[in-house]
Amino acid sequence: MSNEGIDRRSFLKGAAAGAAAAVGTQLAANAAAAQTPKAEGKDPTPAEKIIGRPGSDFMIDVIKATGIEYIASNPGSSFRSLHESIVNYGGNRKPEFLTCMHEESSVAMAHGYAKAAGKPMGVMAHGTVGLQHAAMAVYNAWCDRVPIMMFAGNFVDASLRRPGVEWYHCVQDPALLVRDFIKWDDQPGSLQHFAESVMRAYKLATTPPMEPVLITADGALQEHPIQDEAKLFIPKLTFSVPPQGDSGALKEAAQMLVAAEQPVIVADRAARSQEGVKRMVELAEALNAPVVCLGGRMNFPTTHYLCRSEDARALVREADVVLLLEVADPWGQFNTISDPHHEYRRLAKRDVKTVHVTLGDNVMKSNYQDMQRFCPVDLSINGDAEASLPALTEAVKHALSGTQRAALAGRAEKLRAQHREMKDRTRALAAVGWDARPVSTARLSAELWNAIKSERWCLAETSGVSWSRRLWAATEYYNFLGHAGAAGVGYCAPAAVGAALANRDQGIVTVVIQPDGDLMYAPGILWTAAHHKIPILMLMHNNRAYHQELMHLQKMAGLHNRRMDTAGIGTTIENPEVDFAGLARALGVWSEGPIADPAAVGPALSRALAVVKRGEPALIDVVSQGR
Amino acid sequence: MRRRLCAALLAVAAAAVLAQEQAPAGSVERGHQAYMKYRCYSCHGTVGQGGERNAGPKLAPNPFPWAGFALQVRTPRQDMPPYRREFLSDQDLADIYAYLVSIKPSPAAKSIPLLNF
Repeated sequence: MSNEGIDRRSFLKGAAAGAAAAVGTQLAANAAAAQTPKAEGKDPTPAEKIIGRPGSDFMIDVIKATGIEYIASNPGSSFRSLHESIVNYGGNRKPEFLTCMHEESSVAMAHGYAKAAGKPMGVMAHGTVGLQHAAMAVYNAWCDRVPIMMFAGNFVDASLRRPGVEWYHCVQDPALLVRDFIKWDDQPGSLQHFAESVMRAYKLATTPPMEPVLITADGALQEHPIQDEAKLFIPKLTFSVPPQGDSGALKEAAQMLVAAEQPVIVADRAARSQEGVKRMVELAEALNAPVVCLGGRMNFPTTHYLCRSEDARALVREADVVLLLEVADPWGQFNTISDPHHEYRRLAKRDVKTVHVTLGDNVMKSNYQDMQRFCPVDLSINGDAEASLPALTEAVKHALSGTQRAALAGRAEKLRAQHREMKDRTRALAAVGWDARPVSTARLSAELWNAIKSERWCLAETSGVSWSRRLWAATEYYNFLGHAGAAGVGYCAPAAVGAALANRDQGIVTVVIQPDGDLMYAPGILWTAAHHKIPILMLMHNNRAYHQELMHLQKMAGLHNRRMDTAGIGTTIENPEVDFAGLARALGVWSEGPIADPAAVGPALSRALAVVKRGEPALIDVVSQGR
Repeated sequence: MRRRLCAALLAVAAAAVLAQEQAPAGSVERGHQAYMKYRCYSCHGTVGQGGERNAGPKLAPNPFPWAGFALQVRTPRQDMPPYRREFLSDQDLADIYAYLVSIKPSPAAKSIPLLNF
């Protein structure tokens, strides 16, 4: 038996050559070759044919060189050779193949993982149906500025495709479908090209503003033998230093902030590490300025006296200078449009001075409108917020006179009192409906906090139930992982599982308050968590409706002067009620519920946490209030 | 914004003067049923505790005075949809108000260990 690789293209070409002379056309020759027994003693039979060193082995060498530890995927024939190389050639370790049941789950899992791990996960998908399934999750990652390394399988050479399904699953330009919301893509024509493009893609994805990238792995390139392997090389992976804003502009910003009487710092995706949180604290303390964290990332400790996120509207309304740090929607901080009447209202003073440190202008595209409404600012600084903070803080300290320093220090007592008042107000509101059935969202959040507060913890999604950001004592970057980015439903569960995977080896307990509608998009992620032993505590926020949409239906009925009691049609998840505990059990996840008694939530969480601490996922189904 | 708020408050106050101070008689039980039927709970919570992310303000305990409450339901300010008489009768509204009035206060935050850490 030969170990020499004989590729299918060469085989067909050789077999066809003789027949072509007889019938006169290449097409007929290929058809004839497919039906003509091979000449004896020449080519091996299909059963004898071996490709001992396929191109996909080299591709795995390249992927390993990036340090990617996991590849999430629903298996597909267009990347079957890559899949096999991961498993057998690569030993299914770094990268390990994660079995997902929907490409949207694969990408969202990679999304959550990247925010927790601080580096990308890989995703493999069919170039057509796989990317189509994945598209919304890719858009979420794009809007959330998260790096993901995606690989799409595809057979660009039509003569190699099997009839039927393989044609449906092939495409001229796989990346076209998602090109509006990825940073870069390529379709390499050789293995060397693949190596260089993967390194380029990884570098681009992880350079702020971080974004998903896509490399198409051609099927023939994967499956055919490596040619001239000695000539192949894997380029060194290098990273770009995140760009700091212009020093002169940062000094100008510092002078504006120092001169302000009521400065406010509004941060969205400013920090991307604990160092970033520390830098935020240094800047805020240098100015004694209140900080509003919009929640795109964990930017600022909730325990700090300058954390005033719940007072955002009042602070911006009274501010004379507002510093925006990587804010996705700057216009929305100063203005609003009512719903459903679309009436404009200014929230801030007309003469408020504004500074924005952002890289948002660098990745703006035309079609998808994630750029939000144009917001003119007084000083727009093109730079990475986290990288720019030290220089800005230094400039602030330098710009402060002795008198100003004393004046700023004088603010502290009042700010501490305002922080305490904000917290007291929040607790008082959380107490209302404390014993209600269904369980209030505040109670849900408080019970979960009580269960995990002694652990190193991570709440994988922080916007669905905002009580956690308001009530919990968060000081570490990994505590809060923000939200989907584009509010695309179906993100929460798989992103949380991805985050839990990253946190697993760090000894961080990952929890999530899981909306029912979100889990129903692709509940197969529960099986993935069970199969790969990913410890996560899912506390269901099972409010049995799409309450946001229900409200929209009520608004439209009111606007159209029609009956209001039909708003549940198409917006509720009742009759039958979903048995999430049963669903979880069926997918191999430990579970309890449904729980309607608020007093029963705490004990159930204790039992679930014990399961999580032994390395498995657990789900508690709680029937909850709408919001 | 302040001007609008003042105008709204004046309107509420004026309506309160013009309208009967006393709420019409209503049934707590029917009020609860109507509150659920018209899905008031979706934004305001089943015991009027209010909704997350400004979905709906707290209604209970101690709801607005009747006149202001009725005015807000019929001709709301801000984002709430109007519930007009042809789709929510005066009696239903009175019953809902009776339900809200009947809601007992929750324990104070200071007495809840989970909220004091």
